Amino acid sequence: MKRRDQQIPDERIEEELAAEIRRMIVADQAPPSPSPSYWPSLLVRTNQRIDEATSPKALTISWAARVAIPGVVAILTFFIGLRYFIPMQTQDAAPLKAVVMAMPDRAVDTLLSDPSWLGTSLSATDLGVDPFDMPKEQLAEYLISSASVRTVTEAFSDDQVTEVLTILGSRSSDLFPGAR
Amino acid sequence: MEQKSDQELVQDVRSGKREAFTELMRRHQERVYWVARRIVGNHEDADDIAQETFIKAYIGLGEFRGDSSFFTWLYRIAVNLSFNAVRKRQVLNYLRDSELLRKVLPLEEDPEKLLETREMMSRLEKAVSLLPEKQRSVFILRYYEEMAYDEIAQILKTSVGGLKANYFHALKKVQQYLKDETTGPTDT
Repeated sequence: MKRRDQQIPDERIEEELAAEIRRMIVADQAPPSPSPSYWPSLLVRTNQRIDEATSPKALTISWAARVAIPGVVAILTFFIGLRYFIPMQTQDAAPLKAVVMAMPDRAVDTLLSDPSWLGTSLSATDLGVDPFDMPKEQLAEYLISSASVRTVTEAFSDDQVTEVLTILGSRSSDLFPGAR
Repeated sequence: MEQKSDQELVQDVRSGKREAFTELMRRHQERVYWVARRIVGNHEDADDIAQETFIKAYIGLGEFRGDSSFFTWLYRIAVNLSFNAVRKRQVLNYLRDSELLRKVLPLEEDPEKLLETREMMSRLEKAVSLLPEKQRSVFILRYYEEMAYDEIAQILKTSVGGLKANYFHALKKVQQYLKDETTGPTDT
């Protein structure tokens, strides 16, 4: 009980600290306030954005994206899997390069960023992993070549941002040579 | 026009009266703006976050159960959005700091402008921007907004005891920063 009291500071001490801080900053300039005309414009702009966000077209696009994107991924995965598995089932050891070139362009780009993977002596049966299980370095190179910085960060969910920051904080010198 | 309470206006919005939500915005927009401004540190981001806060509130009004005040609920949205923006900016800064990536990625913001923004911040704003996230949020809500600990606990979903400890540490750090700015760094 005594230890708990010691851990939680007295509010009187807080008030004294806060008062001292106010005295220390009395000469500082306060951050500039927006002009009086800003507030009505904020109302108007926010209402416009609410209208856009709740319009039937916006809701349709939102739902279409939720359904269409996973649907397209599922269809692509199916056809790629079909091409990938058929050679194995017929025991036809097609060269790995021929299998890769039969894939959609997007998947090919990621593998072609590291062409040392490919070799005419390799066959599809040697590919023991899912072609979409790509090394992170390849994925990073692909993102660097085709995406903007803001696209990369805007695509992160809040949990992913927290996870990325944790990893970057513990491994900054490994991941970003030359970073401060 | 009689002055309706926030709860009554919320009911009106749920009944389809859009102008009731405009009235709610009018009442709370300044406080929402300023809490965002103090977390993100600049007007442009605060403006965007203020709008996003009200958009999320309007769309998610069905989820508001009324177990806290409308303003507490709104504040929680604003604080979360503000810290999300700060964290994304931190990731952006990591990417920009990488020499490798700087060579291949176009910079979308002028780094000189970013530096200028930081220099325009007051000493207190700078001190607060350096606090860890939990301490920064409780400092802004307690020191600037003068909110009670119970209310802050509802916004940040943490215990009053934890808040008091965070606030105390935040005050000490800000005080030390301001002292160092005035007299030069001292070893503690």
